Amino acid sequence: MTAARLRHGFGRLAWYLREVSGESAYDRYCEHRERHHPGEEAMTRAEFWRWRMDERDRNPGARCC
Amino acid sequence: MRRFSVRSILVWTAVSILGAVAWGIIALARGEHISAAWLIVAALCSYAIAYRFYSRFIARRVLGVDNNRATPAERLENGIDYNVTDRRVLFGHHFAAIAGAGPLVGPVLAAQMGYLPGTLWIVFGVIFAGAVQDMVTLFFSVRRNGKSLGQMARDEIGAVGGAVALIAVFSIMILILAVLALVVVQALATSPWGTFSIAMTIPIALFMGFWMRLIRPGAILEATGIGVVLLLAAVIGGKYVADSGLAGAFTLSPESLTIALIVYGFVASVLPVWMLLAPRDYLSAFMKIGTIALLAVGIIIASPTMHNERVTDFASTGAGPVFAGPLFPFVFIIIACGALSGFHSLIASGTTPKMIEKEGQVRFIGYGGMLTESFVAVMAIIAASIIAPGLYYSMNVPAGVLGDTAQSAATAVKDFGFTITPGALNSAAADVGEKTLIARTGGAPTLAVGMSEIFSGAFGGFKAFWYHFAIMFEALFILTTVDAGTRVCRFMLQDTLGNLWKPMGRTSWWPGLAGASAVVVAAWGYFLYNGVTNPLGGINQLFPLFGIANQLLAAVALAVGTTILIKSGRAKWAWVTGIPLAWDATVTLTASSYKVFSSNPKLGFFAQRNAFQDAIDANKVLPPAKSMDDMHTIVTNSTVDGILAAFFAVMIIIVILMSVRIWLIALRRRGPLPTSETPPEPSMLWAPAGLFPTPEERAQMGRAQREPMPVGFGRGR
Repeated sequence: MTAARLRHGFGRLAWYLREVSGESAYDRYCEHRERHHPGEEAMTRAEFWRWRMDERDRNPGARCC
Repeated sequence: MRRFSVRSILVWTAVSILGAVAWGIIALARGEHISAAWLIVAALCSYAIAYRFYSRFIARRVLGVDNNRATPAERLENGIDYNVTDRRVLFGHHFAAIAGAGPLVGPVLAAQMGYLPGTLWIVFGVIFAGAVQDMVTLFFSVRRNGKSLGQMARDEIGAVGGAVALIAVFSIMILILAVLALVVVQALATSPWGTFSIAMTIPIALFMGFWMRLIRPGAILEATGIGVVLLLAAVIGGKYVADSGLAGAFTLSPESLTIALIVYGFVASVLPVWMLLAPRDYLSAFMKIGTIALLAVGIIIASPTMHNERVTDFASTGAGPVFAGPLFPFVFIIIACGALSGFHSLIASGTTPKMIEKEGQVRFIGYGGMLTESFVAVMAIIAASIIAPGLYYSMNVPAGVLGDTAQSAATAVKDFGFTITPGALNSAAADVGEKTLIARTGGAPTLAVGMSEIFSGAFGGFKAFWYHFAIMFEALFILTTVDAGTRVCRFMLQDTLGNLWKPMGRTSWWPGLAGASAVVVAAWGYFLYNGVTNPLGGINQLFPLFGIANQLLAAVALAVGTTILIKSGRAKWAWVTGIPLAWDATVTLTASSYKVFSSNPKLGFFAQRNAFQDAIDANKVLPPAKSMDDMHTIVTNSTVDGILAAFFAVMIIIVILMSVRIWLIALRRRGPLPTSETPPEPSMLWAPAGLFPTPEERAQMGRAQREPMPVGFGRGR
C-alpha cells in the first residue's frame, strides 16, 4: 500500500519535473505531429532540440527582475 | 448562487481570526521582540482570504471568465509557442519567469523604515494591486490571442499610449539590468569565495549546453542535475580557493567586476542561446525555486526573532541613510516587486497567455503566482529584520558615509542611533567567510547574512557555506536576467531600427546583432559604472529610479486594464484596476517630484547637483566626495538621474491623459466601444480551474469522459 503510494507520488513528481523543465517537449511534438500532420515526416529528437533552442535565439523571453 | 456550507463558514472564520490575531501581535505587541512566524501566519491568512474571495469576485464578476470559451492555446495550438499546458506546470513556468531578485532586494532596503510598513505594503499591495494587475493583464491578453502589453496599449489607448509603453519597457529594462548588475558587483567585490563560485557557473553552463546539444539532446533534467551538483561543489570549493594562492586572481575591485560584467553581458548576448543562456536558465530556475522553498521551510523550523524595530524614526524624518525620503511615497517605490511589479505585465502578456488551458485558470496562475512572489518578499523582509540593526546599517549605508574600517563604521552607525562594536562587526564578517561586511550595499549580502542565520539555525552547517550559497543563488539568477534582458532589449532595438533601415531588423545579420547588443550593453553599463563609482552610493541613488520605472510600467498595465473595462461597458467595475492605478500614479508622481524638486540635496537630484556644482565653483570638496573628480562624477550622475526621474513622471502623465480621453469617449457613448477582443469559440477541452478540482469539476470530468466532445463546463458568465 505505502510502497504503491510512494511509487505513485514519485511518478507524479517525475512527471511534473519533466513537464516543467520542458524535457517532455519532444514527446509532445510527436503527439502534435501525429494528430495534426499524420504521415508527414517529423524531426528526429536531435533535430527537434536543435530547432527548439534556435527558436529561442529568434524569440527571447524576458526574465523578471 | 451557491450558499456557503457550515464547514466553509467555520474554516474561513478560523482563518480570519488567526490572521487578525497575527496582525494584532505584529502591530501592537509592546516591549519584546516577536517571532518571525507571526509575519508568515499573517501573510498566509491574508493571502488565503484574498484568493478565495477577492480573486474569485474579480474573475467571475469583473472579468467574466468563461471556461466554455477556447483559449488561444487551444485554438491556435502549433507546437511552438501556442501550447495547451497543464495549469500546475504553467504555474511553475510563470512563477519562474516573474520571480527574480526584485522581491529579495527591495524589502531588504525598505527594512530601513522598520518591518511593519514594508510588510503591510507587501501583503495588502499584492492583494489589491499587484496580483490584480497580473491577473487582469493575463486575462485580457488571453482574450487577444496573447498580445503583448505594448500592442494592447496601442490598440486600446492609441498610438501614443503604445509608444509610451514601448519606451517605458525599454528604459525600465536598461535600469533593471544596471541595478541588478550593481547588486552583483556589491555582493562579489573583494570576495574571492563569491567571485570564484559565480565564475564557475560559466563553465558549468557551457558544459550543460554542449551536453544537451551534442551528447544527449533534450536531456534537460539530467544536465541540470549534474549542473546543480557541480554548482554546490563550486560553492564549497570557493572556500579553498579563497584560502589558497589563487585568492588574488579572484579578488576583484568593484571597477574590475563592472568591466568583467559588461564584457560578459555582451558576449553572452551574442552567443547562441543553447551555449550559455538556456543552460543557465535551467540552472537558475531550479536553484531559485529550490532555495525559496528551502527558505520557507527554514523560517518555519528556525522561527527566528525579529530584531529590527517595528517602525523606525526614518519613516517620519526621511533621513534614512540606505535610501533618502519619507515613508510615503518611498516604501511603495523601493518595494515594487513583491507588492506591485509593472514588469510582470510583460510576462503576463508574453508566453503565459499562449499556454493557458482555461480562462478560469488566470486566477490560479495570475493572482496565485503573484501571491507566491509576495510571500518571497515577506521572507526577504524577515531575513533582513532578524539581523541586529547595527549590523544591518553597517552593511547598507553607502561606503562614503561609513569609511573603510570597522571603527569608522561603528562610529557612523552610532550617529544613526544604533550600536555595534568594531569587534562584533569583524566577527560577523569572519563568520560568513568574508574579509569585511562594511557597506556591502545592494541588499544581496544582507539577505545572505539573514539566510545564513536561518539556514544554519534550521538545518545546521556552517554560516559561511550558507552565506555563499545564498550569494551564489542570487547572483546566478541575476546574471541570467541580465543575459536574457540584454537579448530582449537588443531585439526591441533591432525591431525598431528595422523600421527605419531594413537590414537592421534582420535578427540573423550579425553586424546588426552585435551593434545592437553593444548599444544595449553600453546603456546599462553606463548606469552600472555610474552606480559603482558614485561616492553617494549607487544603490542609494539608482534604486528609487528603478522603482519609479517599474511603477511606470505598472501604470501602463493598469491603465490598459481600466480602459478595456470601461470600453467594454463595465465602468461600474473599473475601480478594481482604477484604484490601484490612482494609487500607483500618486505614489510614483510624488516620488518623482521629490526626486526632481526637493531642495534637500540628499533627496532631490537637482538640489544635489546644485550643491556640488556650487562647491566645485568655490573650489571645495564636499563629503562624501574625496576629490575634485568625485565632485564632477556626482554632478554628472545627479543630472542624468534627475532628468530620468522627470522623464518617467512625464511618461506616466501622458499615459493617464491618453487613457482618460478614451474613458470619457466611452462613458459619453453609453454603449460599449469596440475593443480588440477575439470572437468567442467553444472549447473542446476540459480542465479544472484551480489547483485542485472542485467536486462539481470532478463530476464533470466523469461526464466528459463518458460523453463525446464538446463538454460544457463550469459557470458561463
